[in-house]
Amino acid sequence: MSEPQSSLLLKKQLAELNKNPVEGFSAGLIDDNDIYRWEVLIIGPPDTLYEGGFFKAHLHFPKEYPLRPPRMKFVTEIWHPNIEKNGDVCISILHEPGDDKWGYEKACERWLPVHTVETILISVISMLADPNDESPANVDAAKEWRESYSEFKRKVAQCVRKSQEDCS
Amino acid sequence: MAEGQEEPKKITITVKTPKEKQQVEIEEDADIKKLKDVLSPKFNAEPEQLCLIFAGKIMNDADTLKQHNIKDGLTVHLVIKTPPRPEPEGAARRPPADIGATPFGLNSLGGLAGLESLGLGQSTFMDLQARMQQELLSNPEMLRQVLDNPLVQQMMNDPENMRTLITSNPQMQDLMARNPEISHMLNNPELLRQTMELARNPAMLQELMRSHDRALSNLESIPGGYNALQRMYRDIQEPMLNVASSMAGNPFSGLVDNSDGTNPQQGAENRQPLPNPWQRGGGGGGTGTTGSSAAGTGPGLINTPGMQSLLQQMSENPRLMQSMLSAPYTNDMLQALSANPEMAAQLINQNPMFANNPQLQDQIRTMMPQMLAQLQNPEMQQMMSNPQALNALLQIQQGMEQLRTAAPSLVNNLGLGVGTATATPPAQSAPPTQPAQTPQNNTQARQQQNSELFTQFMQRMVAAMANNQNNSSQPPEQRYSQQLEQLAAMGFLNREANLQALIATFGDVNAAVERLLALGQLSMS
Repeated sequence: MSEPQSSLLLKKQLAELNKNPVEGFSAGLIDDNDIYRWEVLIIGPPDTLYEGGFFKAHLHFPKEYPLRPPRMKFVTEIWHPNIEKNGDVCISILHEPGDDKWGYEKACERWLPVHTVETILISVISMLADPNDESPANVDAAKEWRESYSEFKRKVAQCVRKSQEDCS
Repeated sequence: MAEGQEEPKKITITVKTPKEKQQVEIEEDADIKKLKDVLSPKFNAEPEQLCLIFAGKIMNDADTLKQHNIKDGLTVHLVIKTPPRPEPEGAARRPPADIGATPFGLNSLGGLAGLESLGLGQSTFMDLQARMQQELLSNPEMLRQVLDNPLVQQMMNDPENMRTLITSNPQMQDLMARNPEISHMLNNPELLRQTMELARNPAMLQELMRSHDRALSNLESIPGGYNALQRMYRDIQEPMLNVASSMAGNPFSGLVDNSDGTNPQQGAENRQPLPNPWQRGGGGGGTGTTGSSAAGTGPGLINTPGMQSLLQQMSENPRLMQSMLSAPYTNDMLQALSANPEMAAQLINQNPMFANNPQLQDQIRTMMPQMLAQLQNPEMQQMMSNPQALNALLQIQQGMEQLRTAAPSLVNNLGLGVGTATATPPAQSAPPTQPAQTPQNNTQARQQQNSELFTQFMQRMVAAMANNQNNSSQPPEQRYSQQLEQLAAMGFLNREANLQALIATFGDVNAAVERLLALGQLSMS
């Protein structure tokens, strides 16, 4: 049985990432036999509130990858305007391709087949450093981020601490 | 995998941190602990600080490289954590030092709040400060405790220190930037100290607010505070003589007019830019008078209702009395005394006898002329370098002579008030009972010594003022000439306004600038 394109692509990416890991995250498989389910560990970007934290997330790739985007979900608790409380990441490049029916996002901002694990994670990391409060996934966090930053900071610091405890 | 096993024992792993990248050689079957031990010196960190990540997983010490499928040439992530154990120690060591610099000087709370924040982990020092402030402000009892702490008190008694502390608070800076009045207030050390006193003793708030308001309004209602001060030397005897004459005309209106009789003193003293130590001192001494015998002999000094209720509070509450005695007025008094050792010696010699040895009245009586002589000796007079002041003093003396011949009873009353006032300073070391004894035991001596006491009092007052206020006997232009130049250099061209601002701020150029800017355009152009 010939392997589907998606599997080949992901395997290639995984091998490459293991050999030449990218700054800020480490990627592997949850189950070595399932190339569609990835596990990534995001290292809290320096000089952000998330610095020092280790945030674990899972990526679930559809068989149609790269035509359709993976879903990304944080396993570690994380407080961020663009990450839902259950961990789902809300970022435009992970949205199904095509024009947004609400008109918020242009097609070019959404999923494109050129995206790889690396580009996805780089987007996520930059999102950590720079939340987009225009389309919040965690409304409470967005509100705090905008209105009572100190409280937001406190919650993030809590998450960071917790993530450190979890990993050690 | 088969390949991996066939490899030579050692494999090379690239270890990557956000900042650097290093290659290590390690046995392929080594565990993570071993890898960390190898890495630790290379990255200059304790093994416990190292966190190795591969393929989306943090690797535990017990894991082996094989378990994680780490092979030759692969790269693992390394995160160096901030040292977990040294951190709390460092935090414990640092906060107390830092807390000392918090705007509110929370030395006594330092340990407590510091520990609390340790429990919560990574809070910054600013957070720490903020939390403490919050805690304090929400708990007045605690605030009072803190303010009662001798260390804090000591700090508060240093106005310079206090001001820098307060102005170093960014919130305060902000506030000051928006409200020049506030910064001006902060530049007035007296006000600052009083405010702190008040925070410590809310019971006192009302009374002090009242007297302070009065003092302030008196100050402000007189155009050119200093002019008023200057005028005081000349004018002090006028209202007194007025009263004296009215008293002479109506000697039987005793009690009613006595209140007027006190007013000249108070009025005169209220005009001083710096609160006169003797006023409050007189009040303190007067407590005993109200408390014990003297209702008949001299309700004079303490007749104003505000004064009276304050005094009552003080006699009822020794702690209040204490804080009163540690109040700015008393400090000023002490400063004046230390600046004038002779006067201090006199007071110290004089008063313990007064208070502790009632039997020694006779001695006191014999001492009085001596003291008077001392007061009038040339040294003493040299200290009162201002001829104007001496003139005024002489006039007052003469006026008192007149007064004594014209209205002896008034002099008694007035004199008693004054006598207790002079007796106050040593009362700092002893509770109000001492002054209480004074009037009683001094009754016989009083009549003879009253005028002398009063003369002394006036002389001291003038001397104290001369010493106290940076030679306020100099004309303000002279005294503040440097500051005036500075202001002029800053572009404040209205010399008169500059001078007034300097007078009002006791020569503080910064405060004067604030004031000028606040009063602003009118006086400038």
